[in-house]
Amino acid sequence: MSIRVNPELRNQLIQYGIGDWNACYHCGTCTAMCPLSEEGFLFPRKKIRLMQMGLEAQLESSVEPWLCYYCGDCTKTCPRDANPGELMMSLRRYLTSRYDWTGLSKKFYTSETWEIGFILFFAVMVVLSFLVILPSFGFRFTTELTAQGGVKVNSFAPIHIVEKFDWTMAIIVASLLISNILRMYYKIIWKSGQEKVSLFVHIREFWLLIFNFAVQPKFSKCDDKNYWISHWFLMSGYTIMFIVIVVYLPWFQTEKILPIYNLQRLLGYYATFGLLFGLLVAIIGRARREDVKFRFSHVSDWLFLFMLTSTVVTGILIHIFRINGMAYATYIAYIAHMAVLVPMILIEVPFSKWSHLAYRPFAVYFTQLKKYAIPR
Amino acid sequence: MEEPRIGVYVCWCGTNIAKMVDVEAVTTEVGKLPNVVLAKNYKYMCSDPGQELIIKDIKGHNLNRVIVAACSPRIHELTFRNAVEKAGINPYLFEMANIREQDSWVHTDRTEATTKAIDLVIAAVRRVLYHEPLEKRSVSVDPATLVIGGGISGMMASLEIANAGKKVYLIEKTDHLGGHVVKFDLTFPHLSSAKQMMRPILQRVENHPNIEVFLQTEIHEVTGYVGNFKTTLRNKDNEGTELKFGNIIAAVGLKPFDPSKIEEYGYGKFPDVITSMEFEDMLGTGKILTKYGKEPRNIAIIHCVGSRNKKYHEYCSRTCCMAALKFVHQIRAALPSTNIFEIYADMRAYGKGHEEFYAMTTHKQIMFLMYDQQERLPVIRQANRSDDCNMIIEMDEKLSGLPIEVPVDMVILMVNMEAHENVKDVVHAIGVSLCGNQFFIEKHPKLDPVATTTAGVYIVGTCQGPKDIPDSVAQARAAAARILATIEGGTVPVEVTTSFVNEKLCCGCQTCISVCPYSAISFNEIKKVSEVNEVLCKGCGTCGSACPTGAIKCKHFTDLQILSEIEGIMSMSY
Repeated sequence: MSIRVNPELRNQLIQYGIGDWNACYHCGTCTAMCPLSEEGFLFPRKKIRLMQMGLEAQLESSVEPWLCYYCGDCTKTCPRDANPGELMMSLRRYLTSRYDWTGLSKKFYTSETWEIGFILFFAVMVVLSFLVILPSFGFRFTTELTAQGGVKVNSFAPIHIVEKFDWTMAIIVASLLISNILRMYYKIIWKSGQEKVSLFVHIREFWLLIFNFAVQPKFSKCDDKNYWISHWFLMSGYTIMFIVIVVYLPWFQTEKILPIYNLQRLLGYYATFGLLFGLLVAIIGRARREDVKFRFSHVSDWLFLFMLTSTVVTGILIHIFRINGMAYATYIAYIAHMAVLVPMILIEVPFSKWSHLAYRPFAVYFTQLKKYAIPR
Repeated sequence: MEEPRIGVYVCWCGTNIAKMVDVEAVTTEVGKLPNVVLAKNYKYMCSDPGQELIIKDIKGHNLNRVIVAACSPRIHELTFRNAVEKAGINPYLFEMANIREQDSWVHTDRTEATTKAIDLVIAAVRRVLYHEPLEKRSVSVDPATLVIGGGISGMMASLEIANAGKKVYLIEKTDHLGGHVVKFDLTFPHLSSAKQMMRPILQRVENHPNIEVFLQTEIHEVTGYVGNFKTTLRNKDNEGTELKFGNIIAAVGLKPFDPSKIEEYGYGKFPDVITSMEFEDMLGTGKILTKYGKEPRNIAIIHCVGSRNKKYHEYCSRTCCMAALKFVHQIRAALPSTNIFEIYADMRAYGKGHEEFYAMTTHKQIMFLMYDQQERLPVIRQANRSDDCNMIIEMDEKLSGLPIEVPVDMVILMVNMEAHENVKDVVHAIGVSLCGNQFFIEKHPKLDPVATTTAGVYIVGTCQGPKDIPDSVAQARAAAARILATIEGGTVPVEVTTSFVNEKLCCGCQTCISVCPYSAISFNEIKKVSEVNEVLCKGCGTCGSACPTGAIKCKHFTDLQILSEIEGIMSMSY
């Protein structure tokens, strides 16, 4: 059956990043150069072709954009300056918005007003919660210090309430992500082809998900290993922090000042270091614009870096102020910390750049499933 | 006849010959032959010292025949003929044995190649024994020139010659000058106006004192030969006018391919499937509209219509890709939001500024779709009622490997440039040959691209093959320069190795007249024998081989010479 080309899809695609993909004349150098492109899952050329022809259904069912880790070799070797690497990046943004059933992702990617508006809305809600709602329930700021001389954080931000809030937020984000992943599965595996994947294969290959989430072995195949290392530090720091904050908050947000060699402090310091290291590499990279990978920055890229950096910096400040007994400074830092953290988690993770933490490992998993698919 | 004293020179051609042929052995072997006074070998016979060696030996050893065993005579025969002439020998007493192209380059066994080289030299020795001295001849040149075709090539050639003060008769079949170019809107790759470019040229041609323009006139017969041609015009205004001229430029151009031959495109069936020439006309009106008077929302431009396809024409028309990209700019300017599809087979952007033009055009928000000429052509069909377009193009898109359909309201077919069908008269009159695609054949595809095998007849522009404006103009001016040079010289050399009739043997069957490709033989009704016009004759030998009585012979290719050569090659027994 013939597929209708749609030249007007261009107008949509162009909103997700640079859009001059007609420069590509299909020599295939990019695909030949790519260390990750493999038989059956060839990219970037084939995907650029789908973009050029406006084949929406074929684009949506593509898993390949997620298999690209943007080393930039394709862009460096492209004889036409078509920038295949950035085209794959913008395709990931487009796909993120296509998986998302709420339509918010599309709004955030295509309109800065929407994205910044939502972030500000959540930030204001957080500030109001601390300044108006919590005090009205009797939780007040106190300059009184603990016996060790630390700030009494829990009297200001009561641990059982914050914990409940964290869990609620985690569940909302998780359900959004899971529903989007199901849509991704539907588009890539279910709807796309004339093939069938057995349940056994689904179960047998499931380990790939965890393995890929933890190590990103595909990323390590890119020629420049440095980014894989800095990304791994960032990712491990983030994961540790996320688990600690959601699952072990009562253990983490203590009023006690634990010895420096205590696991809680060591984990916290490691995560902070990992995050800062990864962030620094990305920020310097994007500011210098020397490496192809960082040459083109979408608003969502900068916004994300800004929010994560602010979260880390305010987190560090909370820690320093608390153990030094600087009560008000601690509270202000805490409010600021939550005011960036909450919108970041609620917007970036399910709807924007951060969602790749789920889509990428699943894409590797789905790719493996497709390899074992039987023609229907 | 004086005793033949032959000098044989075996060339090494660096290692080209010496690597596969034992040149020493050849030299020794042929040195033993009767009448061979000396045999030598040298690294490069064609070099100045090589030629000097021959000249010195001719004088020192009183040689009267020379043989060089080297490369093809096409390359250096003239070089050595000139060398022996310098030493006082008639150049036709020289013979060349080709032991490179016919021997060292094509063989892998050194012993066998050496034996073959000896055979070839023996053949040459036997042949040269019977060579006769021939005298060079020349004819005077009429300074007027006939230019056939008033397109851009014909006009530019005419202006070039007329500006040098020489008379030009410009013959045009239609009722206007300017050819196809004057109908164009813009030209690629600079998007400059064709009409603005043509206007002053037309005025200069029409008003030039040295150019005489004959419109609605065709050439049916040309008599004479280089330097002295003649024709009689046969149209209503100039009935009986006789023109005399020394040279001819054929610039008869081409015609667009008729796409109704290609069923897939439904040209003639769908009113909004038009040719590139028709689209040029539409651009001239200033509005791009479908037959229903609406602005098309989707326009497809199909490339290679009738080109690069064994079913129609195998060759590439060279200009259509860039013309199609030019259309993109024109459509974009008129209809900024219309979707444009370039349905191409390969993008050819070979010329100066063309690749840049292609790269620039890709940014004009168009969709490039590739089809495979050898697999399946795109098919145009009527759209369904539910579709928001007039027609649908179904095609196998090559770069994605997907079967796709393209919604369209207007289709522009980039038609091939094809040779005129009705040029046979001109072809016969001026004595040029046609290639398989009916284009005029040049004398040499690389070294002599504007001359033909008929002396004094030049071909320029698209009758020689599809080409764009700059190439056509370059050819036109090149031909003009060639002609001006012969006019300045006053005389032109003519072929020496012509055929001649032994009137005693001629039975008057006229077979020779029917086979002569240069119309050089006529029949003498009084004597009842054939006569050869030695100026027209090219010495091809066709008449000689066709003559049933052996009455016609070709100078320098007599039976005795050729049979001796064959005997020579067969003389060694194996």
